[in-house]
Amino acid sequence: MANLYPGRKRRNAIWTVLAYAATAFGLLWLGLILGALIWNGVGGLSLDVFTKMTAPPGVVGGLLNSIVGSLIVTAIGLAISAPLGILAGTYLAEYGRYGKLANVIRFVNDILLSAPSIVVGLFVYQFCVVPFGHFSALAGGVALAVISTPIIVRTTEDMLSLVPNTLREAASSLGMPRSLVIQQVAYRAVRSGLITGILLAIARMTGETAPLIFTELGNSLFTADPTGPMSSLPLIIYEFARSPYPEQQKLAWTGALIVTAAVLSLSIFARVMSAQRGAGK
Amino acid sequence: MNETAEKRVIRMSSDNAQVKTPAAPAVAARDKVVIKNLNFYYGGSKALKDVTLSLRAGKVTAFIGPSGCGKSTLLRVLNRMYDLYPNQRAEGQVLLDGEDVLAPDLDLNLLRARVGMVFQKPTPFPMSIYDNIAFGIRLYEKLPKSELDERVESALRRSALWDEVKDKLSASGLSLSGGQQQRLCIARTVAISPEVILFDEPCSALDPISTAKVEELIDELSDDYTIAIVTHSMQQAARVSQFTAFMYLGEMLEFDDTNKVFTSPRDKRTQDYITGRFG
Repeated sequence: MANLYPGRKRRNAIWTVLAYAATAFGLLWLGLILGALIWNGVGGLSLDVFTKMTAPPGVVGGLLNSIVGSLIVTAIGLAISAPLGILAGTYLAEYGRYGKLANVIRFVNDILLSAPSIVVGLFVYQFCVVPFGHFSALAGGVALAVISTPIIVRTTEDMLSLVPNTLREAASSLGMPRSLVIQQVAYRAVRSGLITGILLAIARMTGETAPLIFTELGNSLFTADPTGPMSSLPLIIYEFARSPYPEQQKLAWTGALIVTAAVLSLSIFARVMSAQRGAGK
Repeated sequence: MNETAEKRVIRMSSDNAQVKTPAAPAVAARDKVVIKNLNFYYGGSKALKDVTLSLRAGKVTAFIGPSGCGKSTLLRVLNRMYDLYPNQRAEGQVLLDGEDVLAPDLDLNLLRARVGMVFQKPTPFPMSIYDNIAFGIRLYEKLPKSELDERVESALRRSALWDEVKDKLSASGLSLSGGQQQRLCIARTVAISPEVILFDEPCSALDPISTAKVEELIDELSDDYTIAIVTHSMQQAARVSQFTAFMYLGEMLEFDDTNKVFTSPRDKRTQDYITGRFG
């Protein structure tokens, strides 16, 4: 036994070093990405970015129309996916829990969760752009909804599954109808978890580009009309990053920084919320 | 624990050496709940076998027996709690004031308003202490604020919790101690004025002081409610109940006055159980 111990200790040390190294390697790339974004993007941050429209080369421009466009198209996506996702997740966790149908839906939802976003874009192009004859922010919102709904379905189901059955039984034992048990007791018990799922879905939508190329198209003018093409941060990053003009490239970096900062702060906010929930119990 | 049970039995036996024939099924007029030939199935396995007994109105009936004998299952039939799950079904007859509890078209919410339940684990809702109580009341009645306040207060007083929580009614129900949470759950059940209250091992997660409080409470409640309690503690059954049913492997082996069951059990297995020889 004694002669085996040194070898075991050595193997332990090797695995520990490997695990640390892998973590450091992953973090390094994240650090490099953030570093590059800040290095290239911060210089372009100015009031103009938030007050001026995207402009042709040679004219001082900003990203106002893209920022507003992003907010609108994300809001449209959320307006569709949040209710749909929460209701579907509720079905899976509460009503369909023991049924075969729920297993099928869960499987389909998992596929949808990993569907390539470009495919989603093409699909929505076929159904929401071609019939109307023009691109629109609405179509973009629908595409984002297709991407974010499965996320919300999943988090909602996962969260509701954490609600102990004893709590449901206690509520039912007072003669509370099923719908009220869910709304007043189950949702309440995991409220912050549900909100976290929605925040993560927003974060995901904010960064999506591919589904918007075929649906929202982009627009160099300011517009709040969702039935027409609209600008959006990921789209303008895609466009300006390929531009030969340095000032447009710089704006692309700045736009990327803004998107990343938004997604990052949403994610951190979501984590803090779920951590607080853990501590509060 | 087993030792005390045995001592109790020995002490009580000396007062009551005469073994009487068990009481005939209780007089119909005083029976709140009548159970006849009840069978219960979890999928293919039978958990209750031809159980027949009655709960006397205004009395406490205790259910004892080793784990898995079907005591809790029986309780969950009385308010159809098993209906929440698939593949669970009951056959036989359960009458609440003559009304068929097992009828498929019965309004379960109304049934559960009449037959309240307190669970093993305290289950306060994730809301304030006040709302925990008010919530159930609001399901059935639309009361002005002042009247609702009164109802909440009286429910909390009934469950001997008022003095401990009157200054923090808006605090979360989850912030209370285990014993307080259980009394909050009792208050919540009492607040909607059920006719029958089912207690499913209400003290198994509580310390002795909280247990004493809950037992006292059950005793007081039995003036107004018909009570059924499942317990693993034979002392508790002896302390709080007037009738005791001993269950074993899904069968009801013995059902009689609590005194008789503990002093002169008819069945050898009952005697073995209450004297701590098994279970």
